[in-house]
Amino acid sequence: MAIPYLIGAIAIGISLFFNRNKKINYILVAIFLLLQWAFTVYEYNHQNIMEFDYFLPDALGILLLFTISIIAVPAFYHSYVFFSKNEDNPRNRAMYYASMVVLIFALSLAYLSNHIAVTWIFVEMTTLSASALIYHRRNLRTLEGTWKYLFVCSISITFVFIGILFLSIAVQEVGDTNLTFVSLLKNASGLDVFWLRLAFIFIFTGYTAKIGLVPMYTAGIDAKDKAPSPVGALLSSVILNVGFVGIFRFYEILAQTTLFSWANNIIMISAVLSIFIATVYMIKVKNIKRMLAYSSIEHMGVVMLGIAAGGIGYYAAILHLIFHSFVKSGLFFQMGQIYRVYNSKSIYDVGNYFKYNLTGAMVILLGFISAAAMPPSGMFVSEFLIFRSLFEANYIFVLIFVLLLLTIIIWAFGKNIFKLLFTPAVDFKDENIEHIKPYESISQFILLGLVVYLGINPPHQMVELINEAVKNLPL
Amino acid sequence: MTNVLLIVFAMSLIYLSIANRLMSYVKILAFQGILLFGVSFIELGEMSPLNLVFILLETIVFKTIAVPLFLKYVIQRNEITREAEPFVPNFISLIMVTSIIVITFLLSNTIENTQLNKVYFVAALSSLFTGLYIIGTRKKILTHVMGFLVIENGVFILSLAVGNEMPMILNTGILLDLFITVLLLGIFVNKIGNVLHGGDVNQLRNLKD
Amino acid sequence: MISLIMIVLTSLLFMGIVIRTKSIATGRKGPGLFQPMKDILRLWKKGAVYSQTTSFIFQIAPSIYFASIIMAILVIPFGHYKGIISFNGDFVFFAYVLALGKFFSIIGALDTGSSFEGMGASREALYSMLAEPAFFILMGSFALYTGHTSFHEIFISLHFGSYISYGLGVLATFVLVMIAMIENSRMPVDDPKTHLELTMVHEVMILDNSGFDLGLILYGTNLKFAMYGALIANFFTGSFSVLISIIIFLAVQFIFAITVGILESFSARFRMGNNAQFIFTLTSISILIFFGVLLIMGKFV
Repeated sequence: MAIPYLIGAIAIGISLFFNRNKKINYILVAIFLLLQWAFTVYEYNHQNIMEFDYFLPDALGILLLFTISIIAVPAFYHSYVFFSKNEDNPRNRAMYYASMVVLIFALSLAYLSNHIAVTWIFVEMTTLSASALIYHRRNLRTLEGTWKYLFVCSISITFVFIGILFLSIAVQEVGDTNLTFVSLLKNASGLDVFWLRLAFIFIFTGYTAKIGLVPMYTAGIDAKDKAPSPVGALLSSVILNVGFVGIFRFYEILAQTTLFSWANNIIMISAVLSIFIATVYMIKVKNIKRMLAYSSIEHMGVVMLGIAAGGIGYYAAILHLIFHSFVKSGLFFQMGQIYRVYNSKSIYDVGNYFKYNLTGAMVILLGFISAAAMPPSGMFVSEFLIFRSLFEANYIFVLIFVLLLLTIIIWAFGKNIFKLLFTPAVDFKDENIEHIKPYESISQFILLGLVVYLGINPPHQMVELINEAVKNLPL
Repeated sequence: MTNVLLIVFAMSLIYLSIANRLMSYVKILAFQGILLFGVSFIELGEMSPLNLVFILLETIVFKTIAVPLFLKYVIQRNEITREAEPFVPNFISLIMVTSIIVITFLLSNTIENTQLNKVYFVAALSSLFTGLYIIGTRKKILTHVMGFLVIENGVFILSLAVGNEMPMILNTGILLDLFITVLLLGIFVNKIGNVLHGGDVNQLRNLKD
Repeated sequence: MISLIMIVLTSLLFMGIVIRTKSIATGRKGPGLFQPMKDILRLWKKGAVYSQTTSFIFQIAPSIYFASIIMAILVIPFGHYKGIISFNGDFVFFAYVLALGKFFSIIGALDTGSSFEGMGASREALYSMLAEPAFFILMGSFALYTGHTSFHEIFISLHFGSYISYGLGVLATFVLVMIAMIENSRMPVDDPKTHLELTMVHEVMILDNSGFDLGLILYGTNLKFAMYGALIANFFTGSFSVLISIIIFLAVQFIFAITVGILESFSARFRMGNNAQFIFTLTSISILIFFGVLLIMGKFV
């Protein structure tokens, strides 16, 4: 169903772009959500059946597809709330919805794509649509964020392309010049090691812009800061997933060759550096959205540590990825409400949130507990498993160092969150603040509750899917 | 002959490191377009004519004529000052670019693949790293875009080296080139030019912690 | 033997052609072709004045400088004939004997105790240091390309067949012309006619020399130009007979002199700070040529 989905989504996108009427926009968005869910369910039922030689709904793709379909619903809902509070002009709103539709369908197809160049094309499309979304409020600062994001992502995409070129040189030795992941996996042991090494370096560096690791994480921070909150939620959840998909599929190929331990070293270095950078910046950051963005970097570092460690770490990494998507998007959705109450994103201007918005404050508290990986959050389970895999793989010093850094991060994060929740704000006039209706926070409770439920009692279909996603990796 | 052209290409990278004025950068980019046209003309004789014409048109029309003219228009319209303002003195840039070329050369000696012409590899990688260096050491936003164009030229050379077996890769690379440069140049530099005057990167420094 | 004679003969006329070209380019008629030689002969007839602050170094430096140039000329071949001295690795000898001469002229300038001369000497030392790798890498490329290490053998076995050899030849000519301009302190590195002391490089080093010594130094400049011209001419006189070689040699020297004159007339001197960068660019370009040769010969695996 990939091609009908593609055509339908493009049609909806184009008609959203040209149609400025509010009601028709909402109807089209609802149709798109229905299409998205229909596509997800269809692909789940047709697992592992190749379509058109380019799309293969394998286990990882289906898991992430479910994730994005679940997150897409509150994303559109909160966009609707966002637009009902800010009277934007219809042209900007149409552009926003059209770009969001393009972003979501490009991501869905990128998760499913089987050919390395097709993945690359769709990731490129996500860069462009995300830039259009970041530039929604047209002022100098969003321009700056959009420019940085577009520029760094373009350079990274060029790096990935160079990696693909090196990969094609490596493939020429085998004779089968098909660049689909299926055939690459089959021929993995015959590929030329030298070119494969170079290809991995370039592809990994390129995709770190999307997943938010060292060295190219800088683009994402500014982007998540300047974008409207629903967009920030998407940027810090599902786009990180597409970066993971890009790296992971190539990592699966490398796992069959002699470069496996070298690749693990590279990933581990990058992951530890990312957590370190996140720690340093979390201590000094004063903008809540940037703090959440750096927290995403730290979580992605933990995910890649799980991948590098191996064993139970593979399962835990994918689990952590899915949970993080839900938690972080929930926090970003809540951020929109915080901004409406305080009209500021700085930690100095906020405080005593319990008084102004009880349900929102509950969301923040629960979200903080989840993001800091404390029980009962599912992220506790996944982080614990990752630490266990590090211990079992004899990376003791890395483990101790990372635990220290994570402690510092929890302290910094908690300091800011508790100031937001409990300490009275300085110089804040609370006469005319907006009263947020409690039902707007329902979506975030659902997301956080999902994380708790899936952590404590994962349904066996999910466990099966994750186990199948990592079946190609050595034990 | 392609070897000579690629060595002249590497020389243009050295000149890029010491050039002072923005228009010198633009002229070097146009010159690189001509060199790439020559290389692709000689190298790709055996491809299907349609593909070949497409690639040749892309190098001549796009890299040599359209993009430099557009850059010139952007410079004039936004009244960007003539100087390319570097953070490091030009002498150090020269030493850095020379050492980039030397290191790339030494790196290319570890290749045992006899099919790949090493001169392509050296030229492509050195222009990649030179482009990154230019992006990192210049103040103006427009020189960042020009550094990106140098990277694109490097990617083009690399895809020429590889693309004899797979013309699709060449086409994808060229489409990447076209699309990204039109996007970067066309939409955003004009928008930035509307908002900022002078094109100084320092005005885009507000997003910090 | 024949190369020594040819170079000495050419040197008599070289500066005259340069100065004449510059005059014609600026619209004047200019002095006669032998005028510089007549000036030098006049200087040779005079006695020298030595300052009280100098030591014996100042008195022997110009002679050593001149002697080093003569020794360097002895190495240069001419067509089929080798120079009076020829052995493996003689281009290294060539470069370093010239460096010896330059060293003595530098310490001779330092010996006078004048700060201006010291400043010129330090600049001279810097530019020579930056230009030296260019020369070595260039000759090294040729040595690699032909497989021999002596001037005579390199030039004999150099034949222009492939594109790369043409490219090498063109680039080598360009680099050698530039090195000649740098070594002789001409434009665009140093203006021989400037009298602003803070901007002089070579002229300031010879401010205190007089009489016979000054004549030696000035004639040394002529000889050096003719020497570099002979090197360039050797690229073109590969395997022709003696008579045609002589004609080609003279033609190349003539064109070289006119080129020097035109370059001097139409370019301004670089800012002092940019000189180092300019000279290093030559080194970078020669490194590129060297690598190009290596890659194409496939000799570095």
